[in-house]
Amino acid sequence: MASSNLKLLCTLLSRIRVENVTIKRNLYQPPKYRPPHWYMPKERVLTDDMVTQDNRDFIDEVRQDKLNLQTAMESPLSKIEPQETVQWNPTTRRVGLIARKIGNYPLWTKSGKKVQTTLLQVVDNHVIKYIPPEEYTPAKDYKPKKVGKYRLGCMLVGSETIDPTTVTKDYCGIFSSVGMLPKRHLCRFHVSPNAQLPTGTPLFATHFRVGDYLDIRAKTIDRGFQGVMKRWGFKGMPASHGVTKTHRRPGNIGAGGEKARVWPGTKMPGHMGNRWRILRGVKILRINTKHNVLWTLGVGIPGETGAMCYLFDTVLPLKKLQTPPPFPTHPPAEDLPLEYYDESIHLFEQPSITFEET
Amino acid sequence: MSLVMRKSPIEYFNAAKWIIRRECRYLSNLPEVAENSEVVEDKPPKGRKPRFLNPTLQYRHVYPEFLPDPNPKFRNSLREKLERADMLKRRSQVDIPEFYVGTILAVTIADPHAQGKTNKFVGICIERKGCGLRAEFTLRNVIDHQGIEVRYELYDPTIQNIQVLRLEKRLDDKLFYLRDALPEYCTFPIDMDPEILPEGSPVPVNTVQVKLKPRPWLERWERQELKGVSNIEEHLKEKDRVRRELRKTPWEKFDLMKDYRKTIPIEDQTEIWGEVYNQLQQMRVSRKKMSKQRTFTAPKTQLG
Repeated sequence: MASSNLKLLCTLLSRIRVENVTIKRNLYQPPKYRPPHWYMPKERVLTDDMVTQDNRDFIDEVRQDKLNLQTAMESPLSKIEPQETVQWNPTTRRVGLIARKIGNYPLWTKSGKKVQTTLLQVVDNHVIKYIPPEEYTPAKDYKPKKVGKYRLGCMLVGSETIDPTTVTKDYCGIFSSVGMLPKRHLCRFHVSPNAQLPTGTPLFATHFRVGDYLDIRAKTIDRGFQGVMKRWGFKGMPASHGVTKTHRRPGNIGAGGEKARVWPGTKMPGHMGNRWRILRGVKILRINTKHNVLWTLGVGIPGETGAMCYLFDTVLPLKKLQTPPPFPTHPPAEDLPLEYYDESIHLFEQPSITFEET
Repeated sequence: MSLVMRKSPIEYFNAAKWIIRRECRYLSNLPEVAENSEVVEDKPPKGRKPRFLNPTLQYRHVYPEFLPDPNPKFRNSLREKLERADMLKRRSQVDIPEFYVGTILAVTIADPHAQGKTNKFVGICIERKGCGLRAEFTLRNVIDHQGIEVRYELYDPTIQNIQVLRLEKRLDDKLFYLRDALPEYCTFPIDMDPEILPEGSPVPVNTVQVKLKPRPWLERWERQELKGVSNIEEHLKEKDRVRRELRKTPWEKFDLMKDYRKTIPIEDQTEIWGEVYNQLQQMRVSRKKMSKQRTFTAPKTQLG
């Protein structure tokens, strides 16, 4: 009896099969960081290459020749007839610029009011590459979207030509594949397909006009680990009246009972600054065409003096471009006036401001 | 031989110290103290001449705002260049004369709210600060027994005219103590006539020492080593004297690094003055011509 039971059990057990295994996992998968395909590490460990002086001179010569070739290169836009250029409409998106923040100083309006301005210098900007929307796969997408889903292409712009021997071979490859010398800063801009530009097109400050509004993206000043008073503007506690050891501390950070925990998002001490921030709707007051400098209204542009920032046409609905700007960009021209001024700005070479008696 | 070896490093050290000190004093763009210049006049340094005899460097006292802020956080050569060009453009429109702290000035400014749309103020310059287009100065006067201070921006285009009424320096580089002084030391008539110095004469130093009102004061003047105040000891208690001794920082005048951080290096200064020297010189010459013309025409108008 016992053996028959055992037999029955064995047959039953032998029938059991694992059809499919379902493992319960967390459904959320954070997007994997895939760097864009044009991203390459730039910094290189500089070693003494044991190159003789003759060879070093030769390398310098070659480099100088290449640099001369690039500076002498004519803008591809100058060959294109003005009739062939496409028309601008309010939905198109133009390329932006890479600029360096070089300081602040005041200007005066014609009504005698002082305004603070920030100076942005557009340094040696060139179009490196255009990737059409069909081939463009942005970096952080979890599932790559279907081909042809993107409306905008990607334009790579570089600024400040550097010595190719100081950067990695991979980084140089991005530029040498399109016949350019490597740049210190590389940035991508989303542009409409009809605003695309050929490789090697120089971009100038005249890409924007006086009176237009910009969006400026830059990294804020890195202030390191800061307390709650500097980071969030808390009031702190009194200096005296029996207060001990809690002059700059946050105080209470939560209630008891049901909520007896620190709620997410509570303002606390921590690292401050060194984050990407966008300041929107900054007006251009003055443009110098010789040094490619823009004077923008206000001092709120992120970053310290000498920091790089990216300039775009603004997306604010009331400050958007109304009239067609230079499209796709301003072609290089010799006979430009040295400076453009906004109509509200008083020129320093004009006589002093006087007010009429009414 | 050994004696020579022993001596020589000390000598070198002394020589180096002397050179460094000379250089620093030469470079500082702070207003020159009157006593120092007198000492130099009495005893010209024997043997070695000062290393830098660049005449353009003298401009750092006359036009201090052309030197940029020495803080490396804010320096950028292109911005400074553009700023200087703008300053010269403004100077071509309005005559900004040479003046110092202690000079009595009359400033006419366009004011939309004033009667006649201009406003004139006369007063003594108690402070001069800022560099580039941000340069500003403060005038002080007592009008109807009420002390008035007005801060003007040097390159403000609403300024119609800046006239020097009495060109002179004082013993200190900031005259904030006039706020606590008796009112007669900063009372100037509104219709004051300009005093013309003979050409080529150095800027005179007014060695007047003001009398302070009794306490309370706006600042602790006793701790600031002021030379232009005569009766500061009358108002002090023993406690104040003790604290003044405790707060003294006699080592700061030997702090070379601090001096270096406050000043613009000689190479930068020669570059800056080389850039603006010609235009400033032209403006000076044209101003002199204008003033000569004025002196000729003035009697004629009176006769007519």
